[in-house]
Amino acid sequence: MLRTVKPKNARVKRALDARAPKEVEDDRTAIFVKGTHTGEVVNNVMKDLMALKRPCAISFSKKNEIRPFDTASSSTSISSLEFWSAKNDASLFVIGQTTKKRPNALTFVRMFDGRVLDMLEVGVEKSVNMNDLKTPKSTPGHKPLMHFASELFTTHPRFMQLKTMLLSFYNGEEISEICLSGLEHVISVSCAPTPPYLNTADADAAPSTSLPKVHIRTYTTRFLSSGTKVPRVELTPMGPSLDLTLWRHQEADPEMLKQAMKRPKLKKQDIESGLGKKRKNMEVDEMGDLRGRIHVGAQDLNKLQTRKMKGLKGDVDERESKRSKTE
Amino acid sequence: MDVSSILASHAEKYKSITVEKANPLEVDAAYLTVTDPNPIDVDSYDNDLEEHLQSLARDGTQALISSLFQLPINRSDDGPLAQLPAPIAPLPRAKHLPKPKPPTKWEQFAAAKGIQHKKRDKKEWDEERQEWVNRWGRDGKNRQLEEQWITEVPLHADIDHDPRKIARDERKARVAKNQKQQQGNIARAQSSSSAQPQPREERKKDIDRTLSSARVSTASMGRFDKKLEGEKKMRGVKRKFDSNEQGGDSERKNSLALLSKMDSDSRKMRTRPSSGGDETVNVRKAVKFVSKGKGAVAMGKEAASKKKFKSGKRK
Repeated sequence: MLRTVKPKNARVKRALDARAPKEVEDDRTAIFVKGTHTGEVVNNVMKDLMALKRPCAISFSKKNEIRPFDTASSSTSISSLEFWSAKNDASLFVIGQTTKKRPNALTFVRMFDGRVLDMLEVGVEKSVNMNDLKTPKSTPGHKPLMHFASELFTTHPRFMQLKTMLLSFYNGEEISEICLSGLEHVISVSCAPTPPYLNTADADAAPSTSLPKVHIRTYTTRFLSSGTKVPRVELTPMGPSLDLTLWRHQEADPEMLKQAMKRPKLKKQDIESGLGKKRKNMEVDEMGDLRGRIHVGAQDLNKLQTRKMKGLKGDVDERESKRSKTE
Repeated sequence: MDVSSILASHAEKYKSITVEKANPLEVDAAYLTVTDPNPIDVDSYDNDLEEHLQSLARDGTQALISSLFQLPINRSDDGPLAQLPAPIAPLPRAKHLPKPKPPTKWEQFAAAKGIQHKKRDKKEWDEERQEWVNRWGRDGKNRQLEEQWITEVPLHADIDHDPRKIARDERKARVAKNQKQQQGNIARAQSSSSAQPQPREERKKDIDRTLSSARVSTASMGRFDKKLEGEKKMRGVKRKFDSNEQGGDSERKNSLALLSKMDSDSRKMRTRPSSGGDETVNVRKAVKFVSKGKGAVAMGKEAASKKKFKSGKRK
């Protein structure tokens, strides 16, 4: 672990403040690491993924002995990941590695607080590079739209992990506004048709080797006029196009995940404007006044205290009978 | 006039911006994300993969764009800015939530007194020069007294009276005071947050402890070991005694604490053998005495035979 530095001058202090944890976080920086051997396929795929991630991307050009899933050397691999994360203020990694057993493997690593949160390994089966398609490309730094198609992305834990990983990768930054004319490209993630054994209740029992393929495609968008406010969208393939298979993975530690999912407390103003969920029976009217609705239970009118008068006490017959008895 | 063709073409155009699916698409506008929960169609997937993927992506993107264009919009120079809502399914953070800073002494005081924070401008109006000047820093107003070319000297002033030096000393004293207060705030913040273990300090203590136990772990308990140059003598824990004169209160408290300690189960100084029933009578001894050393079983038999004998006599 890096030593915490006490700022000695204003420049260092500014740099440290920029790295300090914030309530609303900046975009995550990704580091692209090459393993001991990377083939041409992996190199090109990593280059394209990096082109999509720019400007929040750092490339490590040298080879590194890093095998995060290998039990024998995982601790050294993870400690180097943590070191790089602290050194570069990065919280995402893509590790490319080609071996005989797992050709063209990409490992996505997500960090929390400088420690590894979860990992995901995919194998590249087929890839088309950005340069292979002679089509218009998106501007670097523009936010992509993301599209996930398949019911597995809402049901199967492995695919849900892939979804959140890719989301953190390209769209993790929480933004308050988006320029509508700046939406230039879309990253579409889709699956092969779901095999029948995944539709049964115990989907986890199925072998992980036969999970359906994942297709990642990127398209640039064209907005055509439709006669309404909403434009009609047409897509042009941009590249990269990847066909992936899911291999090894490491789930997030539940305790660490709980820490990572903590949200800042909502401000009073935001709650009133309807951000939080605790906004029942409250509304702000046109004058900006907060109006509430109160629900009162049904009133029991028999217990209502009215003015006490002799004539109203009990039934008349009852009183008559009482009087006759005493006489 | 036949307008059906115009209407049809209009309807076609309009159709292309609405997406009909069996399950509605889930749009998370904060992350510019759309999820299509419909199962993949096997036929079109096998038929033409690229075409199938592109049409899927187009439908999803169209749904996302439609919902984005319906969000409230702010105008700006770069084009319309859609205001995004809060995320539906939040993603894990990259770093932990920032811890709230402990308030400074002034902030505590201001909160207690209800003093509002007022932002002070860095610039100040200079009447003489008729312009805005820095309050401090380059050509700062706080050095005006030191730098003006003529200064009034009071009547009967000392011969070494230097108004420039006095002003400068005052300013330096203010700076020093502020720095001292700042240090105090930092120290207070650190002591309040020292409840959490600080790894470096913990490690230092750990090393000291290991070293001291290693030094006395030789056969002579460290007595005849070679001393290194500059090695300090090991310091043990000094015994501490209470002072002889104490108030009645503290003495009473100490005594009660000692009594309760003696009484408590966990640290009982004398443990009694546990025996069932009344503790004032030693049952085993009593039985032995009554049965004249024959034991409880014999005594029981004897009692039973006596009873039989008694009842027979009565008849």
